[in-house]
Amino acid sequence: MSRIHAPILALARAETLRLLRSRVTLSLLVTVPVLQLLLFGLAIDPTGARLPVAIAGAASPGHDAAREALAKEPGLRLVADGPAGSARVAVATGTAILGIELGATAAEPPQIIVDGSNPALTAAAEARLAARYWQAVAGQSILGAAAEPPRVVRLGNPEARADWPFLAGLIGVTVMIGMVMLGSLSLAREREGGQWETLRTLPFGPATIIAGKLLPWTLLGSLQGTLVLAAAVTLFGVPAPPATIALLALLPLFAATHLLIGFAIAARARTQLAALQGAVAFYLPAMLLSGFLYPAETLPAWAARLGALFPLTPMVAAARGALLQGRPAISVLAAGLPMLVVALVAAAAALHALHRERG
Amino acid sequence: MWPEAPATVVRLTGVGKTFGDRIAVEGLDFRLARGDILGLVGANGGGKTTTLRMLAGLVTPDSGDGELLGAPLGPHARPLPTSARRRLGYMAQATSLYGELTVGENLRFHAEARGLGSDAATAAALRFGLGPRLADAAATLSGGWARRAHFAAAVLHGPELLLLDEPTAGLDIVTRRELWGWIADLAAAGTAIIVSTHDLAEVERLPRLLFYDQGRVHGPLTPAALRHRAGTASVEDAVAALAARP
Repeated sequence: MSRIHAPILALARAETLRLLRSRVTLSLLVTVPVLQLLLFGLAIDPTGARLPVAIAGAASPGHDAAREALAKEPGLRLVADGPAGSARVAVATGTAILGIELGATAAEPPQIIVDGSNPALTAAAEARLAARYWQAVAGQSILGAAAEPPRVVRLGNPEARADWPFLAGLIGVTVMIGMVMLGSLSLAREREGGQWETLRTLPFGPATIIAGKLLPWTLLGSLQGTLVLAAAVTLFGVPAPPATIALLALLPLFAATHLLIGFAIAARARTQLAALQGAVAFYLPAMLLSGFLYPAETLPAWAARLGALFPLTPMVAAARGALLQGRPAISVLAAGLPMLVVALVAAAAALHALHRERG
Repeated sequence: MWPEAPATVVRLTGVGKTFGDRIAVEGLDFRLARGDILGLVGANGGGKTTTLRMLAGLVTPDSGDGELLGAPLGPHARPLPTSARRRLGYMAQATSLYGELTVGENLRFHAEARGLGSDAATAAALRFGLGPRLADAAATLSGGWARRAHFAAAVLHGPELLLLDEPTAGLDIVTRRELWGWIADLAAAGTAIIVSTHDLAEVERLPRLLFYDQGRVHGPLTPAALRHRAGTASVEDAVAALAARP
């Protein structure tokens, strides 16, 4: 063996032994791909969405035919049927993603109201509705009595910009990743560095330690979210209606919740690598199941229920609601309730683990 | 200095700890009063650090009972209360200063964490000669300066009980002697001190020792008694001889 090859082989052998003996590294290599496979394979199906749709207009034989045609549309799910104007309200309040306001007379083309917060989700349904409309025109049904195309109104996102929903969701995603990583790694780093042991001999308990760490990082996380929001508004033209203030008010709670989740991970992780693994195992499914990448409507019921447990889910909904859907401030702030529940559970888990840490 | 403090700072009876099947410490019996110094000596892995960690409230004993700074200590005792921890100083083997903070900032943190003002940090810096390095980040300190700063942080509140885990490890002879001088000063002022060390030349001057032999604790005994037991002329030779016995 040459003098050049021997040290390379020695290093490779030592590194292989280290890898094989590090359960954390091995489980990192297995857990994350398994998680991805399960989520992408079982939970994510963008083509399987059945979008909630509302229809509105006075009862008439022609309108009834339109309702029947709509009920047969495979990608849609009729959730409301009311008088003129109610479909628009259903979309504006989030009950439906698409609304159809039938014309007052047979000569008047229908109006399609689209929730602008997710053009990627609604584009296919819009196209299907348009196709159905032109079929009706050809068949001389009530829908087809007018040769004018239906008027499409996109609430909150008139140009159907695909980047806006992502930018709105990115506010939560950025803060989530930053805070979970910070929370989990910093405690694990202190444990490895020896500072943790000294901290535990000081005259205060884990609750004080957590509170002390929470304060500056919560501010940092809120600032981070505010900067992403400011960039989205100034650089990419995302609207900033008055409810944006409510969104900003949610950021400290959202950041603190993820710091507490990070602390709960770190309380069980012995090393920084284990803490990193825990952080990734948390935020990967959160991103996939929260509605940020794939709308909740495209998820099976079990996956949507699982996704609802992540604080990112109400945050993405709140951000899109505030910035793109014109939701009132009170509805945006209501997203804080599930976050608060998760924060309390994470704090209890972290404190329980830290109190049990005595060997 | 502590008018209401009892004379007995630590009292242990038959305290022990096992990790799985391994006996880390067994038969820990001693009493320590204000101003006493107790040295812990023996080979690595003998149970010295476990003893200090039990006393610091970091590890729960699983046998025996005792009292530390007025608080019960034993398998069923609650974690060391805040009132006791306020009167405790602990210096772990690893330097536990925050590397990103300066020496001054680290001392201030330890002072404020104990409810003291920054005056206590300044006083400790002056007392332990840290003035020239106050503005340096702790991560940039040499081993000697880091131990000095760590020691200052552990004692700046004037603890009634000071636990030191190999405080002189890796230090040059000058710094070692300086540190042993500070330990003696603190004891003279009434602090009870338990110090684990391999600095066996200095240990000759300590009044009482515990000798650790693979978890079994012998003592307290005087350095002379330890030398006599091993039939050697120095504590260093005694520890080497006793530790080498099967």
